[in-house]
Amino acid sequence: MAGRALGRPGGNAPYWFLAPLFAFTGLFLVLPLGFSVYLAFTRWNPLGEPRWVGTRQFEYLLTRDDTFWATLSNTFVFAGALVVIGVPLALGLAFVFSRARGKAAWRAIYYLPQITSFVAIAYIWQFVLDDRYGLANRLLGLLGFRGFDWLTDPTMAMVSIVMVMVWYDVGKNMVVFSAAIENVSKDLYEAAELDGASAWIQFSRITVPIIRPAVVFVTVTSFISGMGFFALILAMTGGGPRGATEVTALYLYEMAFQDLRMGRASAGALILFAIIAVLTVLQFRLLRERKA
Amino acid sequence: MTAAPDLGLSVAADARAATGAPGPRRRTGPKVGAAVKYVLLTLGALLMVLPFADMFVGALRGPADVFATPPRYFPADPQWGVYGRVFDELPMGRWILNSVLVTTTITLVQLVTSAMAGWALARYEFPGRANVFRLVVGAQMFPFFLLIIPIFFLLRYAPLAGGNDLMGQGGSGLLGTYAALVLPFAVTWYGVFLMRQFFTTIPEELLEAARLDGASEWLIFRRIALPLVKPALATLAVFAFVYHWNEFIWTMTITRTAPELQTLPVGIFLLENTFNDLDQKSLQQAALAVSVLPVLILFALAQRFFVSASVETGVK
Repeated sequence: MAGRALGRPGGNAPYWFLAPLFAFTGLFLVLPLGFSVYLAFTRWNPLGEPRWVGTRQFEYLLTRDDTFWATLSNTFVFAGALVVIGVPLALGLAFVFSRARGKAAWRAIYYLPQITSFVAIAYIWQFVLDDRYGLANRLLGLLGFRGFDWLTDPTMAMVSIVMVMVWYDVGKNMVVFSAAIENVSKDLYEAAELDGASAWIQFSRITVPIIRPAVVFVTVTSFISGMGFFALILAMTGGGPRGATEVTALYLYEMAFQDLRMGRASAGALILFAIIAVLTVLQFRLLRERKA
Repeated sequence: MTAAPDLGLSVAADARAATGAPGPRRRTGPKVGAAVKYVLLTLGALLMVLPFADMFVGALRGPADVFATPPRYFPADPQWGVYGRVFDELPMGRWILNSVLVTTTITLVQLVTSAMAGWALARYEFPGRANVFRLVVGAQMFPFFLLIIPIFFLLRYAPLAGGNDLMGQGGSGLLGTYAALVLPFAVTWYGVFLMRQFFTTIPEELLEAARLDGASEWLIFRRIALPLVKPALATLAVFAFVYHWNEFIWTMTITRTAPELQTLPVGIFLLENTFNDLDQKSLQQAALAVSVLPVLILFALAQRFFVSASVETGVK
């Protein structure tokens, strides 16, 4: 589509229409990216002048900064869990949803978190997951369970963060999947039913293979955004307890705006970006090839 | 939602399937028992709604409920006055004003820049078009965490702003101004992409007729093309409004030392310590409820545009 000739020359007109895009892309994308690359090779506390240190920041982060590696591992756990738990859940939900009545109402309910700020979501869940008297542990108590230290136990804190993030995203992913499912020909299901195929067989043998592009898309974008995400974590646990939910993007944000190490944080951001870029390409390759 | 009506439907559908007769419409998959289906959806819906309900219930608790042993979940005497206290004890009016101001400005600016660029990419032949399109798609890949440090300092060293000299030294630049909250978001490459997709669907004959009448390119864009893509504009507007109403990392970074510029989520977040006392929790929950309300209303009024925004992102 991109390359197909659709329009007419129009003289200078297209460039005038594009002028704001060029101006703001230059100022707020190209220039910052260049500045960021420069900063990554400096040591800079913004009270003074940046000092060129070559690749020392990269060397420090990769060879001596154990925290950096720990946050990378947390980042992988977080983004990986989002995909492994979130995508199948949204897919199953979309399948059930696409066969239910009252779509608008269901969709509205599942979409609610999407319109809420991460500050509100973080606090709402802090209340729900609060010690003995939060809603979650009260409900578990009613069922006779002891409940969990949702946010104070290091392992459970990561579980809680992933759970909340899956809760946040499931409605959006469900909408994307169900839009794809709507396009699957009804005849296929009719034929499958004639052959006595169960709902599970229809789901796994018809729906999923046909909407595969949507599945690949949601998987890859969930993973990418998960790798760079920290808003909810900042507001909900601040990376704690004892660094258990400290992801790399949050670590770098604190490195920059609390410790004022702009050079090192820029170098870290470039490393994280490179990792994400490589993994994105790999994921697209792998997920596409399995089809062939 | 009992099992009985479903049983009827399933039998009817099975009969249709067995006889090969096409069903008039297929709402239910006979093999997914409708009961199971709706039980699943209802359980999920409860999980979605309960945390919000918990917030509304919590806002109404008074000290008597909080300090009871054990603390009461449902307030014995709901404190509706908390919603008044939110406005008395917190700079709520200021936060709402800032949120409305910043969010509306960003949304309008994004509509203009996206529509203009999308239009150029969709309807004109010009050297470099393919590269501009690549830029629009490629620019969406750069994550925010990569840009936050450099953009912060580019604003700080903006020449001739906020007491800065021509070299950007001496003052605070654009930090501490509304411009710092709006300018970095003036362009959304996703929005350009979205608008381009919609503009390509306009029939060329409509535009050709206007050209023959001697209309300028701007007039054609403004008077003919824009009115035809209103649904796309609405989709983008809703998407931008919700995103920036809720945005908080950037706004917090810029306004940490400028309380007069803080928006609802940032204000509530940075006042965290005020809410540490147990009997202040209800105040916090009420403030959160107030912050959620405007988008909730927008959502109720324009649900279909929310959905199309998600779907458009997913289908590209």
